[in-house]
Amino acid sequence: MTANQPSAERRPLRSPEPSGIRLEGVTKKFGRKDVLLGVTATLAPGKIYGLLGANGVGKTTLMALICAHQFRSGGSILVDGVDPVENADVLRRMCFIHEDQRYNDNFSVGQVLAVAPAFYPTWSAETAERLAQRFRLPARTKSKKLSRGQRSALAITISLASRAAYTFLDEPYLGLDASARSIFYDELLIEYAAAPRTFVLSTHLIDEAANLMEEVIILEDGVVAVQTEVDEARRGSFVVRGREAEVRAMLGDREVLTERGLGAILSATVRGEATPVDHAFADAHHLSIEPATLQEYVAAIGIHSLSRTLDAGDAGDQHTSASRSRIEVSS
Amino acid sequence: MTPIAANLRLYLANRTWAVFTPIYILLIMLGLSLIIGALIGLATGYPLPEGTTVQMRMNNGALYSVPGFLISVGALAMNRNFSMALAFGSTRRNFWLGTSVGFLVTSLTVALGAVVLLGLELATNHWFFGARAFDVAALGDGNVLQTFATMFVVSMLSLYLGAFFGTIYRAFGPIWVTVAALGIGLLLAVTAAFFVVSWDEMAVSIMALGAWLVLAVGAVATLLSAAGSYAVNRVATP
Repeated sequence: MTANQPSAERRPLRSPEPSGIRLEGVTKKFGRKDVLLGVTATLAPGKIYGLLGANGVGKTTLMALICAHQFRSGGSILVDGVDPVENADVLRRMCFIHEDQRYNDNFSVGQVLAVAPAFYPTWSAETAERLAQRFRLPARTKSKKLSRGQRSALAITISLASRAAYTFLDEPYLGLDASARSIFYDELLIEYAAAPRTFVLSTHLIDEAANLMEEVIILEDGVVAVQTEVDEARRGSFVVRGREAEVRAMLGDREVLTERGLGAILSATVRGEATPVDHAFADAHHLSIEPATLQEYVAAIGIHSLSRTLDAGDAGDQHTSASRSRIEVSS
Repeated sequence: MTPIAANLRLYLANRTWAVFTPIYILLIMLGLSLIIGALIGLATGYPLPEGTTVQMRMNNGALYSVPGFLISVGALAMNRNFSMALAFGSTRRNFWLGTSVGFLVTSLTVALGAVVLLGLELATNHWFFGARAFDVAALGDGNVLQTFATMFVVSMLSLYLGAFFGTIYRAFGPIWVTVAALGIGLLLAVTAAFFVVSWDEMAVSIMALGAWLVLAVGAVATLLSAAGSYAVNRVATP
């Protein structure tokens, strides 16, 4: 029995006030594998969040826990102040189409789009029709026959047309070409303007989607490593490049997320913000300092996390963490 | 639209599958029964002699033809629709209730279809040559109420059995389907042993039920399957 499996008691019906999502020490185990180790975060209503992190870090699991598709092992999740598990009033205000969402194989796209409005009092038929046209969704095609891109387009169409107060988009662009992704970004902003709501967007095309996001939550090692405004996150790391000896001299004991060496040249992604002293040192020693892009930052955190896990495995102690990792690219 | 009604709509989205196919199956069974009767008639002459038409009272095609399909409907409804319902913001409870109302619709359709065909069978004096498909012993020998109730219960039982195993498959995987099937087999064996041991005391009251026995056993099994599918559904994940 997990922490929040439904009890037999009925909850009273009520209309919760939108107050956002509050996660407190949320944990999830699958068998012996710990996926989430204590996620604590707060998501305000009416904002667009990017949920970022390396593959397997638990982004989809976290969204599934918030939407009560999975049962958490511990901690608490409150949506608009109440536990969403088996709470019809809260869940009907949420929409979460999984990246690998299974539909009834017998249903055509038209049937799926005919059924979905029954679940959402806020459904926008106009949005659904517009998106279906823009994505050229084939209404008569069975869901099992859809291509990867068409499945993503269907998921986006349902998610945006639902106008659910809490809409979760799990890798929504998979299989979409550049123009279809552009349609998605346009439509997300159109919908957000028409009906402001909370979007949680998990994506690996971070820089492409970064302009949509207001805040990012970066998962690392089963916990929230960073939750901040996007601009702040962009200032969360920088890249220094130059001759290895000078770079190392500048780094000192700073937290290095990743290193890449090419002959005598070293490129290091460093957590934190470069100080005026750093810039002066860089100018004097012919080093370059550039802000890391959000994508570089998230990727560096992922590599850093992986390296620490490997180091811990080598040391035979899972709780040991190395402050640096090194990825060598030599020619 | 209420959440339960939304889940009912999800179940009924493909009406051919959920409503009409069982009726088509009954019609196919009727057609096969008539063909068999006609083939017998080639040897015995038409209309069929009294002995043959009485033998056709034992035709259980109506009882056996729909369960296989309806078990698959129940299993697939729980499997395929569940993840859609959750994605669209349904609770497990409302999904189960809405799907159960859908099962009710399917079962009522099957039962009404059987009653209509029984009425035609009686009105045409057994399809003009003495063949029987619905005026049979297992359905109460032309008793409309019993035909309706038996077909209804058999349909509900089939749907919930499918739902029970379909939910176990989704929640715990194929191994647990086997475990559950073995468990039910064991339960049936124990129940059978109980009846064998206490047959002398119970025989009179059991035999007095006649064809209603099918209904009584089916109703109990339906309730157990429904309770089982509900319990497993509450802890299932997509």
